[in-house]
Amino acid sequence: MNLLKKVFIALGSMDRRFIFLLVALSVLFPKLYPDLFTLPIKPSSHSQRVFDEIDTLKENSKVLVSFEYGPSTKPEIHPSAIALLNHLFSKNIKVYAVALWPDGNFMATEAFSQVADKYEKKYGVDYVNLGYKPGGEAVVKGLASDIRTMYTVDLLGNDIDSIEMMKDVTNLLDLDFIFSLSAGYPGSKEWVQFACDPLGIPMSTGCTSIQVTDIIPYVANNQIKGILSGMPGAAEYEQLVRNALDARGVMVEPGKASINMAAQSMAHIVIVLLIILGNITYYLTRKSGKKGGVQ
Amino acid sequence: MFLKRQMPVIIAISVGLFILFGHFINIAPVQQFVNNDATQWFDIIASFAIFLGALNMLKLQVLKVVKKQRNWQYSILAIVGFAFAIFAGFFFRGANYITLSDIDPNNVNQLVEYISTVQEVKDTALMVKGIESSLASYEIPKIFISKSSAEDFAILVSGLAKNVTLGVKPWGAHVQIEGSLFSWMFFKIFTPLSSTMFALLAFFVASASYRAFRIRNFEATLLLVAGIILMIGRVPIGEFIPWWVVSTLIVFGIGALIAPMIPDKKILFGLIVTGIVLSSVLGIIFDWSLAINTPGILSIPNISEWIFDYPTAAGSRAIMIGIALGIIATSFRIILGIERPF
Amino acid sequence: MNNKLLAISGIASIIILIYWGTFGLWFVTGNAPAFVGVIIVSSTIFYYIDAAKSGKEIYLRPISGLKAIEEAVGRATEMGKSVLFVPGISDMDQVDTVAGINILSHVAEITAKYETDLNVPTCRAIVMESAREACRESYLRAGRPDLYYDDMVHYISDDQFAYAAGVNGIMIREKPAACFYQGKFYAESLLLAETGNSIGAIQIAGTGSASQIPFFVTACDYTLIGEEFFAASAYLSNKPELIGSIKGQDIVKFMVMLLMTSVFVLDTVRQMGLFDFNILTFLGLS
Repeated sequence: MNLLKKVFIALGSMDRRFIFLLVALSVLFPKLYPDLFTLPIKPSSHSQRVFDEIDTLKENSKVLVSFEYGPSTKPEIHPSAIALLNHLFSKNIKVYAVALWPDGNFMATEAFSQVADKYEKKYGVDYVNLGYKPGGEAVVKGLASDIRTMYTVDLLGNDIDSIEMMKDVTNLLDLDFIFSLSAGYPGSKEWVQFACDPLGIPMSTGCTSIQVTDIIPYVANNQIKGILSGMPGAAEYEQLVRNALDARGVMVEPGKASINMAAQSMAHIVIVLLIILGNITYYLTRKSGKKGGVQ
Repeated sequence: MFLKRQMPVIIAISVGLFILFGHFINIAPVQQFVNNDATQWFDIIASFAIFLGALNMLKLQVLKVVKKQRNWQYSILAIVGFAFAIFAGFFFRGANYITLSDIDPNNVNQLVEYISTVQEVKDTALMVKGIESSLASYEIPKIFISKSSAEDFAILVSGLAKNVTLGVKPWGAHVQIEGSLFSWMFFKIFTPLSSTMFALLAFFVASASYRAFRIRNFEATLLLVAGIILMIGRVPIGEFIPWWVVSTLIVFGIGALIAPMIPDKKILFGLIVTGIVLSSVLGIIFDWSLAINTPGILSIPNISEWIFDYPTAAGSRAIMIGIALGIIATSFRIILGIERPF
Repeated sequence: MNNKLLAISGIASIIILIYWGTFGLWFVTGNAPAFVGVIIVSSTIFYYIDAAKSGKEIYLRPISGLKAIEEAVGRATEMGKSVLFVPGISDMDQVDTVAGINILSHVAEITAKYETDLNVPTCRAIVMESAREACRESYLRAGRPDLYYDDMVHYISDDQFAYAAGVNGIMIREKPAACFYQGKFYAESLLLAETGNSIGAIQIAGTGSASQIPFFVTACDYTLIGEEFFAASAYLSNKPELIGSIKGQDIVKFMVMLLMTSVFVLDTVRQMGLFDFNILTFLGLS
């Protein structure tokens, strides 16, 4: 019994680098041996809501997709972007891309290059990338009143009036849906506060897990129709899109978020076990009056 | 003295009041200024101000190298990185492209073959289709960083079309276009570095949780339990936690809550065991092992979703309201000139 | 009811009446709840600022994080190490950054008095300039302008994680004994706080970013949560007008709570069919 106590106390005082190693291994093994760690993904009500909202849109609807994330949050949000574009393009919905972050331009370009060709979508006819504009909520307000006050050319320098799909779009009211892929400020909150709620345009969002607590009040109030929370939300949405497109005979590769969920699951399990271990050690050391803890 | 002390206060008060009440005033120029111009002025000032910051950073790094202060070698990296980004953004476009006019339809497959030597072609048939639909004028999808590599490729494909033109993407677009030098720098250097820094969070969350999530008091225990439920519930593995594990944990939790009220530990133990047995029997009778029969409260993902939708949303709202009021009060003090951080 | 309160209420009512009367003419329609809110909040805060300036005693509950500021700087002085102040990653258009700069001026005054090194890495050039002005003024106020030099406030990078990497590097190389994180933070908050924890620094954080508060609470010794952060400058300066605005803010919060409760009760009663009046429509919320 004493030996067991000593073992627990020793484990509870381990160097933080050992914790880092455990977390690294918990992420590495599922990536190296994915077949051993296949987990079914069950969509949550929020992800299901996002899917349903997009799925009810008709052919030739106009959807604005706003890219507000960068390379650091790409693993969490980019899979949502890819799944979203797959969903939109498969339904022949017109996509208008903007970016409130400078990095969003690169993310948008990459997402379109990954998806557009598969559905034979033509730039300027089926999708357009208007690019980044600085100003945060001022850009959102500008788009709400008149897109041409914000954008006179698209990302590639083409005159906006020469783009076929921009002809009958004056402001956000001409669009049917807004989707914000957001990692911070400016992001989903600005879209809700300055465009979607005042103008009554339906909106969904895919954001980082950290941001979910900020956004969830808007989801609860029905100001945002569903939320894809971080990588789990992205994986759930990928699953839903894949199932829907499979049923329509469109082959879609497994998304990156779905592939990475096993690694995330293992990491979470390891962290929970470490917390439990830490508490056992805390309880034992409190009883015996010794010191323990992360060094 | 007036310019340094009173002038900034006058500007802050007048612009602050103008923007605040301009939001409500129905005069087009005022609305235009409040909604667009004011933010654009700020963006212009911030854009020019970046020179101050960049020069300051460069000055400090150069001084470190010149004076050979501790770890000066890392400053060389900082200076080289800075110079490279400036070079790729402002001096070297690295975005050369080739346009073919009047392509011979018999040469389309050959053209696709040549393109596949410089760029990965995922769907050959799709590319052939794309070229065949634009035989009059087709832009090779590959962007060449150097003019010489573009020229070499142009020579290679010159026999396949009547006209081969070399072009360079305009300044500005060269930063965004995939394949340009700046884009290469962004995706091959900046993206991995940013992702690495963000990935550090995973490790730090683990060590912070290990250190901080201790059962010290009721609130800390609540935090610990909610944290564990959310961590397990948000990942697919949460679906695999069987109902009887959850029901046992709930019984233990109730036991922990009522423990202070029951001095006799034997009675407490008996109650807990009874609770576990009762919940297990109920589970067997109602066949809770079937997903459709499992009550929501015995599913970790459902509990996790409930925590998100109700306590988290409520707490988040309360903090948002508090922070918003704090912002209002601080803004009010700045607008009235009571607080002068500038 | 005192005369000042009557006067302020009177002026506020007249402004609201003018707004109501000239709806669509001078004023934009659809913003009525916001306008009335602005007038009521402004009047309340203004009344209490005036009351505090007139000498009324206002009680503010003690905030341990603010009391610990001087202790933290003192600790750094004793250990012969520097103080690190991180004013967040946003620009001066965010009120959090402004509040952070206010706290910086107080910290700078203490470091000037104690002759402790102060290091302020910034993420934005405009914040760098504002922080320099704040520090210069503080050192002047403390009677030690000779100790101030421009490079104590320096720029690292506009990029979030490049900035976090730079600050982490400073922490690991220079090992400051006290770290202050006061401003707007995003995902880098835990990176900074954990690194500060690993070097054994005393850490005091404050932010208006609700999602980052849990990370700071976990990793830092003291955290100013929500409004405490915005109230910090009032606490530290002890100026009556600033303290009065805190009281006004609290009264406004009380009004918001009353409004929420009334809306909840009235709407519940209406949904039960006992009452016909729709408070949500009246307030323009539906």
